[in-house]
Amino acid sequence: MVRFFYYHVIYVGMMNIMVLVPSMLISHRFNGAVSAMPIAIVSGTLFACVTSFCFQRFPGMGLPELYKRFLPRWLGIALNLLGAFAWATGGIIVLYSYSNTIGLFFNPETSPYINLAIMSAACIWAASRCSRSVQFTQEMLLILSSPVIFWIMFKAILSPWLDWDAIRVVAGRITEPPSVVPFFAATFVFSGYLNVTLFNRLTERGHRYKHLWIIPVFCSFFLLVSFFVPIGFHGTQAVGNYLYLWSVTMDCLIMKYGFIQRVLYLFLLLYTLLSLLFVMNTWHTAMEFVKACTRRYPPRPEQPEVPRINWYICTVFAVCTFGYAYMMNDLRNQMVSELWLIGRYFIELLLLLLVILFACLERKGVRRRPDPRPPTKNANGVPGP
Amino acid sequence: MLKEVKNKLGNPDDLISETMDNGYTKMEFCFFPGMCDINQVKNGILVPFSYRFDPDEFRRMLRADLAFIHADKPDEWASMLLKGCALLEYEGEVFAFGAVRRMQTKPDPTEVEASLQGPQSAYTEDLDLNLNLVRTVYNSTTLSVEWHQKDNIASQSRIMILYDREKANRDTVKEVRTQLDKVGKNLILGAGQLAKLMSHNRHRLFPVILLTERPDRTVMHLNKGKIVVMLDGSRFALLMPVRFFDFLSAMDDYYEPFWMSRFLIVLRYISMLLTLTLPALYISIVSYNPEVFRVQLAFSIDGSRAAVPYPSFIEVLIMLFMIEALIEASIRLPRFVGSTAATVGGLILGQAAQQAGLVSSIMIIVTSVVAISNFVIPNSTFSYFIRIIKYVFVAVSIFSGLIGVVVTLFMLIVYLCNMRSFGEPYFALFMNAKKHAGKDQTKPQKAG
Repeated sequence: MVRFFYYHVIYVGMMNIMVLVPSMLISHRFNGAVSAMPIAIVSGTLFACVTSFCFQRFPGMGLPELYKRFLPRWLGIALNLLGAFAWATGGIIVLYSYSNTIGLFFNPETSPYINLAIMSAACIWAASRCSRSVQFTQEMLLILSSPVIFWIMFKAILSPWLDWDAIRVVAGRITEPPSVVPFFAATFVFSGYLNVTLFNRLTERGHRYKHLWIIPVFCSFFLLVSFFVPIGFHGTQAVGNYLYLWSVTMDCLIMKYGFIQRVLYLFLLLYTLLSLLFVMNTWHTAMEFVKACTRRYPPRPEQPEVPRINWYICTVFAVCTFGYAYMMNDLRNQMVSELWLIGRYFIELLLLLLVILFACLERKGVRRRPDPRPPTKNANGVPGP
Repeated sequence: MLKEVKNKLGNPDDLISETMDNGYTKMEFCFFPGMCDINQVKNGILVPFSYRFDPDEFRRMLRADLAFIHADKPDEWASMLLKGCALLEYEGEVFAFGAVRRMQTKPDPTEVEASLQGPQSAYTEDLDLNLNLVRTVYNSTTLSVEWHQKDNIASQSRIMILYDREKANRDTVKEVRTQLDKVGKNLILGAGQLAKLMSHNRHRLFPVILLTERPDRTVMHLNKGKIVVMLDGSRFALLMPVRFFDFLSAMDDYYEPFWMSRFLIVLRYISMLLTLTLPALYISIVSYNPEVFRVQLAFSIDGSRAAVPYPSFIEVLIMLFMIEALIEASIRLPRFVGSTAATVGGLILGQAAQQAGLVSSIMIIVTSVVAISNFVIPNSTFSYFIRIIKYVFVAVSIFSGLIGVVVTLFMLIVYLCNMRSFGEPYFALFMNAKKHAGKDQTKPQKAG
């Protein structure tokens, strides 16, 4: 089941566009963004590999179960809530900025709240499903949409309008000392591995995170594409003028023979699916973290009948999104998402340290509570052969 | 005996009951001539009793012949008669003679799931013949056949559960049995009805049980470890648990050359997507986002709508109503009138409606694509469900355009992924490939 892990890695790599990573990078394009990127690649790969490697020791357990196993209860609850907050805000930011993008490019006359309402209804519904269903959805949608997204990316890279000189000029700034904010932003591309914190629950005993080389290869590709392609299309200076950077970049491409001429629309429709996927995953994870704070809801990854609490928690997230939309505008949203990206880096760091600590404790055999898992249980929920 | 039986059955006029006397001894004898095969009754009972009578031989025949069952419980007499036995009382003992009249002696031709190169025989309405068809193709010692008895069913239809002992999942078999037990209805007339009653949730948008009339499909699923339920009096078997993809596969996919079958499968999925989303896309393109299409196309669509006086969704609803009515009419009508309906409908849908300015010519193309694509789906139950879900997309697109359609597509996928058919995932990729590859290697099949 290792493929599910990489689905998350890949789609988060593609999603970086929607949490405004490229615009943060590009605003620092002359002072340290380029040199921050190799460091981010190394750091992101290291984080991803070490964390998932440590999780290998705990098959069938998510992060809340690890807290329960090694930490005092109050600390576990605090960390769970911190995680839930970080995940849920990520979903809220994406939902808000995407519904804004949609409002701008598709339905400029309708109220932005209507777009938000439709999308958040879909997200409530999707996020409240059980973990296994969420994974199936993930797989299906990614397999449906990623070929076209890759096609668009390669179309952009191979486009004759892409100005390689501008790219070379900006790439030449690699000698500048790296700056911090682009570094934090760039590490987001590698954050897909964070799904192990929850979806590790679905792994079986003896499960290994193989083929970890996929993470640096794909994510570096996404990072480079999302930084350099807009520069190539708009030039070194003009690229700084846009807020919806990638939407405008995609509008530079046309399909000569299709029903749809402007690639922008295809791109936006596909990213609707990806954004919904992102919000589904983040809210679902946040919901499970919140549920793990009480003893009433033991982890049940396979549960097609949706318990009522799932609906309540996801509805709270949706209400928060509306509150957020009421308070925000595009510029403030950009600031908040910068803050979120920075905060996320520290949470990842904390997670890394915690997981290393847990792995060491496990090796020494120190644990607060005995193993709660039944002796043989595999991810399918059916007895093994 | 005769008195008791008559009392129990309310003395029906179609029951033949006689006390027969051949000069040496007497025998009480009754049967329903409509339910029994008269030739069997004559050769099995009447001839040995009358002009070939030998008391010893007759007694020996009653004891030894497999067709005679000793029926010493008076409660069962009436139900035995109703199932097509003849009852006789000889020397104080009661015997039932099985002489059920078989209406069918050979398999039906396939009607619903036609195939070009595959076997042409389909199930009949006779359970024993159906079992014969399955056993002939799936000639395996591991095939389990269980008779599921239900006491509270008035129609007393026999229900059989078939599965491969080594391949089927025990939990799933148990689940199927409990679902069958839960069926509360006391009159089961068809396999479709049983499937509806067995599904966990009546309001599902997709079927979780596959109905088939083809023995080869049944056997293929048995070999995959699926469970089959068969009902007497129905020419369809129920297969479970099934997945979304099973509904879009025709048996010809297994008989045709590789690339041809792949091509047809892709064609089916594209058709399904078209029939689901095309009317909704039409509404959203015309009413919300004409700029999505290239300019020439947008203009020609708008130009064709020049004579149409109302918004696009009304146009779509009119045309969809007409095509649904036409399909429904041509299914229910007798064959002779059916072609007339199709002609009349075709005329209206084809030219007149467009020339009258009621609908645009592009809408006529959309409608016919929707209808034709819907016919491509090989399973009729599934294509009904797709027909219904189309309207969900239409409804959403009326209010929120293109984005609504994409969001609804997302929700549909979430819905499918959250479905389970008898505990197994309904819409998940790559679930079975590895497991079955392993199994095929361990058990090589011998030819002949």
